[in-house]
Amino acid sequence: MIIDKNKINAFINQIISDHIVFAPVKNKDMVLFKQIKKPDEMTLDYNNSRIPPKSIYLPQTETLFRFSKNQNINLETPKKDGRTLLFGIRPCDAKSLKILDQVFTGEYKDSLYLSRRKNSILIGLTCHNPSLNCFCTSVNSSPADTDGLDVLLTDIGDKYYVELITSRGGKIVKNFPGFKPANKEDKKKKEEIVKKAKDSIKRHIKSERLASILDSIFENKYWEEIARKCLGCGICTFLCPTCHCFDMQDETAGDKGARIRVWDSCMYPEYTMQASGYNPRPYQMNRIRNRVFHKFNYLPKNNQVFGCVGCGRCITECPVNIDIIEVVNQAREVKKDE
Amino acid sequence: MVGNKELQNEIRKIMDHKDVKYVLAYKKGTYGFQTTPFFVSKREEVSQVIFSPFCLNNLTMYIKNEYAKEKIGIVVKGCDSRSLIQMINEKRIPRDRLFIIGVSCGGVIDPKKRSKRISEPLENVDVVEKDDKFVFTVNGKKQEIPKREIVFDKCIHCEYPTPLIYDFLVGDKIEPLGKEDYCDVKDFEKNSLTDKWKFWEQQFDKCIRCYACRNVCPVCYCEKCMAEQLDPQWLRRSVNISENTVWHIIRAFHLAGRCTSCGECERACPMDIPLMLLNKKVEKDIKELFDYNAGKELDSKPLLAIFKPDDPEEDIK
Amino acid sequence: MSKEFEPNIVAFLCNWCSYAGADLAGTSRIQYPPNVKIIRVMCSGRVNPVFVLNALQQGVDGVIIGGCHPGECHYETGNYLARRRVTVLKKLLEYIGIDPRRVQMAWISASEGAKFADVIKTATDEIRNLGPIKKIKRRNEW
Repeated sequence: MIIDKNKINAFINQIISDHIVFAPVKNKDMVLFKQIKKPDEMTLDYNNSRIPPKSIYLPQTETLFRFSKNQNINLETPKKDGRTLLFGIRPCDAKSLKILDQVFTGEYKDSLYLSRRKNSILIGLTCHNPSLNCFCTSVNSSPADTDGLDVLLTDIGDKYYVELITSRGGKIVKNFPGFKPANKEDKKKKEEIVKKAKDSIKRHIKSERLASILDSIFENKYWEEIARKCLGCGICTFLCPTCHCFDMQDETAGDKGARIRVWDSCMYPEYTMQASGYNPRPYQMNRIRNRVFHKFNYLPKNNQVFGCVGCGRCITECPVNIDIIEVVNQAREVKKDE
Repeated sequence: MVGNKELQNEIRKIMDHKDVKYVLAYKKGTYGFQTTPFFVSKREEVSQVIFSPFCLNNLTMYIKNEYAKEKIGIVVKGCDSRSLIQMINEKRIPRDRLFIIGVSCGGVIDPKKRSKRISEPLENVDVVEKDDKFVFTVNGKKQEIPKREIVFDKCIHCEYPTPLIYDFLVGDKIEPLGKEDYCDVKDFEKNSLTDKWKFWEQQFDKCIRCYACRNVCPVCYCEKCMAEQLDPQWLRRSVNISENTVWHIIRAFHLAGRCTSCGECERACPMDIPLMLLNKKVEKDIKELFDYNAGKELDSKPLLAIFKPDDPEEDIK
Repeated sequence: MSKEFEPNIVAFLCNWCSYAGADLAGTSRIQYPPNVKIIRVMCSGRVNPVFVLNALQQGVDGVIIGGCHPGECHYETGNYLARRRVTVLKKLLEYIGIDPRRVQMAWISASEGAKFADVIKTATDEIRNLGPIKKIKRRNEW
């Protein structure tokens, strides 16, 4: 199907009327996913958001339950969100949400995450101009990957080519009269744009047998050399769409308080510090190695999926140019452990 | 501009000393214009050392975690040399454990300003100095941009393009590029309290408390950062305007008399918070109130550990 | 009848001079506003800016730091160091947009009971006019 660009605002207005809509919003030189009340708050002219949309389903600070004490002790869990819709999300970020689903809705179902995720609709936007550090094509994704999305829009000039991926997406689209059937021209244009985008991705990781190669160099000094530069600042983990480590804290003020969940980072030494003072990952080398293994060894082995979606944010924002593409590719050149 | 060969030769001379563990320098990064910190520990690695207008990192930040007894070499620009003087003054590392290679620097390029003028491909990029301009070559095409338009703001006002401390100097001594007049701070001070708060509230709302500003800072090296103390817990781990504001106020305060305005915190911040606007305010205040400058003279005493009986006393009853 | 805003003020008083001065105000039956809650520290130099900010975060409307007169510190140099810290902190608060009059410093000796009461009276009036603290107060909106 297609929709003319000049009808998009009306479409957004309609979905705002019965959904909580998150869309990319410009904040000076960066773009963040924020809730919008009017379509003109949104910008679709962007590469990718600074903070990935995981922040909507796994907020940086979230209340698990509240407690207060007057006569008795009262316990209260926060109310659930209404229906949310994420507009303009990139395919890599949508795929990352499926990876988070495996963590938060697997064996143990996290009710807070689920309450946001269950009724959430994702309308994606094909990347027609991937960034320099994008490498989604190396990790089973692409600028027009539909995995995790309900609807995918591709900009083909003065209209968007619309692909309906799930029945939920189909329902949203059918409710708005501005969607029309596409013709062969439109489809061809879309395929050209997607091909151009895929070809413009210059950076790749070699992913064959990656897990076993990493296994063979677990004890190698290679990790120490990479870790030397690392500041342990945690930017890579906070901006990563699949990173999900968290901490829980109790906050109180007088007679009331709450248990909250906050983002944490495996890059900090405190993350694995135990009450006895022993730290199983005492050096930056342990922590960096753990992060790379989590993405390219543990998750592939345990969940049959890459833990990385190739968005490139960690590469662009790292202050000391620690580049996960180089780390993974160079790992093949390293002399194996005895 | 500093020649790579001259720099590499100086590093080789240092490595001839048997007790040098490694030399901190720069090498080419993994994409586009990037450069990256490089720990040179073998002679064969020296040929990869470069110095270009994209050598942004303040390498002195790696010294703060140095505990070994051997000597280390380090390449410093003018702004980095001030951080080094401050670290030596604070007894973080003894002067005789360092081999300092000073590099005269005419300004380093701000990647944010660069990205607005010149695109960054994966390879085939080069930049050279030509008087007061930079000549960028991208995929064969040349483009000239005046230095003043593309270097960091700190470089436009730089008073120490030649490092203040070094054992060997690579490159000719350069005259100051500008004067530090704190004009941004002075302009901001003119705002009303409400407007000031409105501005900072917007900025601190963006903060994700990644602590990159703290980790990249050469003088932030408390073994147990106040923000991570649990008993007592001064700063909650939740991320909201109250905690974020207090974090930034406390960090700026802890840097009073110690920050040398290298600008790394602002460069590292993933949310584009103008941290230099805050740190420079403290630097300006202590200069005016106490006539104190951080990181300019060896053996100067710490600002908040000394006093004068006639220190300024505004509104003390 | 609606309650008018009454500020909450925390005063860090050094044990040897200002706390004794406060005590003297009490024994001399000098009246002063009840808005102030006193925390005794051994020296004004003990006061860390983190204390001041933590107090403001918890909802205190004003903080007073009381120390010995310059030159008379029981530990010789504590009040001088505190003076430097408070000067830097107040300028920083003003720059962020928080009214610096919420943080005040006063030199009160052990014999100045009347001065203590006076300082508290003026401070309470000033801070009452500034209104309740809002900007860096913890919202606790869990």
